[in-house]
Parts: sequence; C-alpha cells; structure tokens
Amino acid sequence: MTAQIEKKPYAISTGRLLQRPAAYGSLALFGLLVAVPLVYFLVTSFKPMEEYLTYPPRFFPTRWRVENYEAAVTMIPYLRYVGHSLFLGLSNTILTVVTSAMAGFAFARINVPARTRLFTIIIAMLIVPGIVVQIPQFIIFARLKLTGTWWPWILWGLAASPFFTFMFRQFFSAFPKELEDAAEIDGCGSFRTFWSIFIPNAKPAIATAFILNFAGVWGDYVNPFLFLKDANTTLAVKLQIGYLSPHGELLTTTVLAGAVLYVLPLVVTFFLGQRYVLEGVVTSGLSGR
Amino acid sequence: MTSIQLLGRQRSARRRKSTRDRRRTTSFYLFVAPWLLGFVLLSVAPLCIGFFTSLTNYDGFDLAGSRFIGMDNYTRAFTDDRMALSLSRTLLWTAINTPLWLVVTFGMALALNQKGIKGQGFFRTLYYMPSIIPVVGVVWIWKIILDNNFGLLNAIISIFRPGTAVPFLSIYALQSLSAISLWTGLGSGMVIFLAGLQNIPEELKEAARIDGANVLQLFRHVTLPMMTPVIFFQLVLGLISAFQQLVLPMLLAPGQEAGGWNPPKSSYLYMIHAYRQLFVYQRYGYSTALLWLLFVVILALTLLIFRTARYWVFYEAEVEGGRER
Repeated sequence: MTAQIEKKPYAISTGRLLQRPAAYGSLALFGLLVAVPLVYFLVTSFKPMEEYLTYPPRFFPTRWRVENYEAAVTMIPYLRYVGHSLFLGLSNTILTVVTSAMAGFAFARINVPARTRLFTIIIAMLIVPGIVVQIPQFIIFARLKLTGTWWPWILWGLAASPFFTFMFRQFFSAFPKELEDAAEIDGCGSFRTFWSIFIPNAKPAIATAFILNFAGVWGDYVNPFLFLKDANTTLAVKLQIGYLSPHGELLTTTVLAGAVLYVLPLVVTFFLGQRYVLEGVVTSGLSGR
Repeated sequence: MTSIQLLGRQRSARRRKSTRDRRRTTSFYLFVAPWLLGFVLLSVAPLCIGFFTSLTNYDGFDLAGSRFIGMDNYTRAFTDDRMALSLSRTLLWTAINTPLWLVVTFGMALALNQKGIKGQGFFRTLYYMPSIIPVVGVVWIWKIILDNNFGLLNAIISIFRPGTAVPFLSIYALQSLSAISLWTGLGSGMVIFLAGLQNIPEELKEAARIDGANVLQLFRHVTLPMMTPVIFFQLVLGLISAFQQLVLPMLLAPGQEAGGWNPPKSSYLYMIHAYRQLFVYQRYGYSTALLWLLFVVILALTLLIFRTARYWVFYEAEVEGGRER
C-alpha cells in the first residue's frame, strides 16, 4: 500500500515529462506540414513564369511580380465570374438558411405525432450518400431544360438542408418553454413566435449556417461544372481551366494569383467568424471534406 | 352548476383543444413544407427515376427510342474490367485513407488537449485552414508541389538524390491523393475529436489518477472508451465520404480536356468510372446502375458497422452535456 503511494507520483511525472515535448513536437511538425503548402502557394503566385519553369525550383521568388495579379483579373472577365459565384452563393444561402431554420423550428418546438418519424428522415439524409442523387437530378434538370441556368441553386435553396435543419433543431430545442408560452398568451401565432422571438435570438446558428453554406457554394466545383455553361459558370470552374498564353501555354503563376484572390474571401471570413464555423462543424458533424 | 352545463363546458374545452391541435398540425406542416417538398422532389424522385433509368438503355437524347432492358446494366457491371479496376482502387483508397485520417486527427486532438499546452487556439486555427480552402484552390496548391518537373517535393528530394522526378500525379496518384485528402480533412476531424475529448468529465480522469493509473492506462481505460461514440461517428462519415470521392482525382488528372477527365489508373476511383459512363459515353442507364450498386454497398457497409457498434462503442447510461445523436 505504502509502496504504491510512493510509486505513484514518480510514474505520473515520467509520463508527463515525456508527454509535453512529444505533444509540442508533433503539433509543430504537423503545423509545418499544413503551413508550407499554403506559404508556397502564396509566394509562387508572385513568381514570373520563367522563374517557375527554372530547374531546380526555388522556394521564394527572386523578383516579386505583382503584375500576375493584374493579369489574373484582366485576362478573363474575372469580376463577372465573381458576380456569378456571389449571386449563386448568396441566393442559395439565404434561401437555405430560411427554409432550414423553419424546419428546424418545427422539429424543435411544434409537437405533432408525425414529428419523430419525419425527423428520422433528416437523420438518415445526413448519412445516406448524396452522390447517388446528383446524376439523376442532372437527368431531370436536363429534361426540364434547367441545365445551363441558375434555377437548380434556387431549388436546392428552397428545399432546405438536412444538416442545417438538424443544427437549427438542436439550437432551438435549448430555448426555454416560457418564451413560447408568453408569446402564445400574447396571441402570437407560430409564425409570429418564430419570426419575432426565435429568429432574433438565433444569430449564432444563423451565422454558422450562413458561413458554412456560402463557403460550400463558393467552393463547389462539380455542380457548376455539370449544370452551367461557360457564359454563366462560377469562378471555381473558370480557375480550374486556368489562363493560357497566346501560344496556348498554361500561365501557372497567373492562375495561382487568381486562385489566391478566389480563396482569400473565405480565409478572411473564417478568421472573422471562426467561432461560428468550428461550432457548426462540431454540432452538425458537417466536415469540410 | 348543473351536470348539463358541466358537460357543455367539457365539450367546448375539448373542441378548443382539438382546434388547437389542428392549428398546431397545420403550422407544423407549413414550416416543414419547403423541406418536405424538396425531399420528395429532389431526393426521392431522383432516386426512383435513377433506378428506373438504370433499367433502360437511355442515352440522354432519345427518350422515345430507349428500351427497357431489365437487369442488363447490372450484370454488365460484373463483366466490366474498368469497373473491377475502379472498385479495387476505391477499396484500397478507403482502406488507406479512412484509418489514416482517424488516427492522425485523433492523435492531434490528444496532443492539443494536453493540460497546459500553449497556443491551443493558434494550432487549431492553423490546422483548420486547409479545410476552408475550396477544392479548386487545394488542387492548384498541390499541383505546384507534386509536379513531375517543377514541383517543390521533387526539388527537395533532388537535393539528396539529384535528378529525381517521381511521378506523384500519375503512377503514385492514389498515394498523393491520400496525402492531399489528409491535409484538407485534418482540421475538421481534429475539431470534432477535440470537442469529444473536452466533453469527458474531469472527475473520471481524476478518479483514475487517484487509483494510480499512469498515462497509458488512463488513455486505455478512460479516454478511449469515452471516445468510442465519436470514433464510431467519424468512422461512418469517413467511410461514406471516401467511397464517394470524385472531385479530387477528377481535378488532379493531368490534361485539361473539357468533360474528358481521365485520371491515371492509380486514382481511377469508382465514382470517376460512373461519371465517365454518363458524361463521356452517354450511357445513362449503365451510369445510374453503377450508382445504385454503390448506394447499396455503402448502405450495407453502414448497417454492418452499426451492427458492430454494440461490441465496441461505449454508451453511458446518462450522458451529461454530451451530444444527442
């Protein structure tokens, strides 16, 4: 018994002693592995094309060519494609947030017999592979002549997202019952209660849904690639094709400059709204993959 | 008060209750209507139409001329060599990528959750950065690193072995894909594990320490069992998304021809094969049949994992502050 008590602090402290440096070491190593590609991406966007094509490549440019950025926004109608991405992102996001909050509110606060069964569908949709639906949706939209238009984004927005419905449901479930009762006594219908009591108090959840959904649409490649045509596609598709010189060579460093500008708004939004992003990822299990 | 009056009052109360019930039902369905309609029209209907298409030889144009060919598209899948290749690559990809992602993100969450680690917020932000970058950006970032001739990685290897040009994007495309996928999924996985670790009640660890448990024992008998629900959840999500991987191999494929993305053999994943059937060869029926097969495989696998849950996933009788799922 006494032997045990004597041994205990010793055993813990060796473990602790090894633990701390090991933790810092692995954190720093992975930090480096994460950061180096990002830094290399940024500095290469300033390289003159000749310098990118020299062998062996150097990490930092010897001459910083800011003109890459000028070329990136003038060689193609860059701002027009920004506009397309922005329009699709905002319209789809606003609709998705509204319809998901509505459904989430109903699942959290309005008790009807079918509620549990319908909510099971939401849970199932979180797990069921969505990719199986994409090609059939393409077939349907193509027959309805909706491919090549922005209508699919409006329809997807109107249809709510199971992820955010789930998130709003969790969020609204935590509201005190008295809030609702008071509203009901004051003669508020469900819509008034939702709109003037629940929505104003749901800013964190709205911010999370807004940021994550907007980032999703802005970053999406497959849907605009499949559903839109060159004239009305998004920045993502345009940047994937890249910029070609008059001789048909790929101007890699100019594309990188365009890509930095494309990525930047999301990085800034992430820094500003980090709390909401991380919270949303944790509560909905919606990962960035 | 007479009994008739009492009866009348009861009846009107009941009527009031039933109108309230009815009003409640109406408003519930009004609130969920957009989602429910969308679910039927944009999920159930495509699923059914997809299944119906898989039984025909529809080519995308000639609806009148397409015929019902029964299970032919399904039997065809089993004699298709490219399908066999894509399936084996996808199984390999899933077998490499999912465990790697789980182990690394869990390990990093453990490292980050140590008591007294400084800069926790900084590291969390840094690790999460790649997850916020859109896939087109991710692909450009990695193309300039993995390029055969001008890539950074080959330049670094050349310092030790001059003249190295490892074909990371063709022969080793699957391995490169795993690295990229890990890089982008690092933050999101870690954040979820970290939240799980922070939900473990401090009393449990304290009790184990008082009983004389060392660091390894603490991990084996307290942390790990308490984390099994999170590991389970991440495993299911990781497997499902690994099977559906499409965009990374598509965009990393060399060559820029529109719609004709043709990844090298190494990263020729199942979804690539299914998409190419439709967008390159206009085999609508075969493509949707391949999707349905994948759907069934993923569903079966998910159910199988759910079945194993009771042997290794630890659920507390009462969860405090835990996530409800």
